[in-house]
Amino acid sequence: MKVLNILKSEPDETVEKLGEAVSKDNQSSVTMLYGDQVDWEGLVNDIFLHDKVICWW
Amino acid sequence: MADTLGILVNTDKYLDYVVNLTRAAHSKGKDVRIFFTGKGVLLTLKHDFKKLVGKARLSICDVSFRSNGLHGREDEVPGVGFKDFATQAKNAEMVANMDRYLVF
Amino acid sequence: MKKVAVVIKDPDQQYEGLRTSLGLLLEATEVQMFVLHHEIANMDEAYSDNMEFLDEMEGERFSNNSANVEKYGFKYITLADVGAKINEADLVIPF
Repeated sequence: MKVLNILKSEPDETVEKLGEAVSKDNQSSVTMLYGDQVDWEGLVNDIFLHDKVICWW
Repeated sequence: MADTLGILVNTDKYLDYVVNLTRAAHSKGKDVRIFFTGKGVLLTLKHDFKKLVGKARLSICDVSFRSNGLHGREDEVPGVGFKDFATQAKNAEMVANMDRYLVF
Repeated sequence: MKKVAVVIKDPDQQYEGLRTSLGLLLEATEVQMFVLHHEIANMDEAYSDNMEFLDEMEGERFSNNSANVEKYGFKYITLADVGAKINEADLVIPF
């Protein structure tokens, strides 16, 4: 399954551990909303190109 | 039929993300619905909230709005009528029916 | 029927997470609620009543905090197993 992980803030240990579990069993990619400039239209495309989206904290 | 995107806003931290994403999704022809609950209702009285109007169907948890001390200020929320102050069933409806579901 | 994992890490959001879980259960969604790390900060009548209601509605509640297991009847779960449950869920709602 293709899973898109959206990080709204810098991941803490909990997010890293849960994210590891997700990426172990899936084709996983990550988009960070903090820090650098975000390609919002690209993100909309990605959201619909993945089977599942998780918005971590 | 347009792709549908449901957004649950359960914190008051990320209005700029919600605005940017909604604007982008709307420009790409997506049908966006947003439900504000918990501390997320505090965003409804922020200046930038009006940027969502016309780009998404907005609804607000009535219980959260009241419990955060905002009862009586319903008229001040742009783009939202009395029928849009709803229960958690509105969130469940998004979970059941939207193609994608995000949380901010 | 969609399966939803409600994952509550912020102690200030424990009640909201429970309320959202219950709202989903009432509309025939399968819900597993996970309270991470922290003991329930305010086990008042509202939380207790809603927790009972969640049980009656056949929602499941888990915690990796032993006090929640011993005092309030949550099922114990490790963080690694929360990850596995998240993989089984259609949607994840973090609080």
